[in-house]
Amino acid sequence: MTMDVNQLQAKLREHQSAMFQQGFLDDQFSQLQKLQDESTPDFVLEVVTMFFDDSENLLKNMARCLEQVPADFKQIDAYAHQYKGSSASVGAARVKSVCATFRSFCETKNLDGCMRCLQQLQQEYSLLKNSLQYLFRLQNDIKAAGGSFS
Amino acid sequence: MELGNNQQQQQQQHIHVLVVDDSVIDRKLLERLLRDSSCKAATFLDSGDKALKYLGLLDDELDNASSTSSESLQQNGMKVNMIMTDYCMPGMSGYDLLKRIKGSSWKDVPVVIMSSENEPSRISMCLEGGAEEFLLKPLQASDLKKLQPCFLKCFDNSGEEDTSRNPAKEKQQNQNVNEELWKT
Repeated sequence: MTMDVNQLQAKLREHQSAMFQQGFLDDQFSQLQKLQDESTPDFVLEVVTMFFDDSENLLKNMARCLEQVPADFKQIDAYAHQYKGSSASVGAARVKSVCATFRSFCETKNLDGCMRCLQQLQQEYSLLKNSLQYLFRLQNDIKAAGGSFS
Repeated sequence: MELGNNQQQQQQQHIHVLVVDDSVIDRKLLERLLRDSSCKAATFLDSGDKALKYLGLLDDELDNASSTSSESLQQNGMKVNMIMTDYCMPGMSGYDLLKRIKGSSWKDVPVVIMSSENEPSRISMCLEGGAEEFLLKPLQASDLKKLQPCFLKCFDNSGEEDTSRNPAKEKQQNQNVNEELWKT
């Protein structure tokens, strides 16, 4: 079933709005969108792709660190700090928020807390990734149908 | 890529920024933000050590009294008009880098520190250490606007003193060579 451009644009607006309302994205993501123009038409996709790669590496590293006995909380905190920074830079608000909690558990050397945070991070990342991929798909469909989106 | 004499002169008059940040995402964001600013040429490095090497400030190179010392780099026309560095990096911090630069022949180059932590004590420490400006991450276009007075100072202090400069003409010429420079 194909949709016309107007329907697709409505869907995109709705989806994007929901992502902001549900706190997945914050103003920094809007800033990235503002930086996208004719000379950098894929800027948001490029930054987000970098973020996905970065996320996967960091999550893997944090999991590996948490398996070690004894856990190296300093190293885990370094990863959480890095992830907090990159999520802030792309506007991934919920991921950033969990990273902040993660850091406080590292500070108090709370292994259980850290493990729960890691699980939460993996969940939030997965939700965000799916949502953003859907967003990009809608944008592509709109472009393919000859439309545009701001 | 060949540059005519005219374009080479313009290249020398461009502001060249050295960006030091271990985050690939933040480097990409800053690259895009700089493109819209007065600063059209930038070098991106991912550590303080690489920055020191680039500036010819690594201790072992100084011992050689060779052509890699920072004085000779500057004499040979290598220009760094501004340095923007992240505060928190593995290895050497942005603050350590700031102190090294301020204690070297690059001491007059404005250094901007960027950080994700809004800590007043950190901010005052950096400003007292000689930082020109302290920017909070994540960076936005408005932060680069804050650096505008800094950029203008760079034009005035540019190594190539040319008393016959015409700012309006330069602006047009700069816009023409933007694309070429950005691709290098």
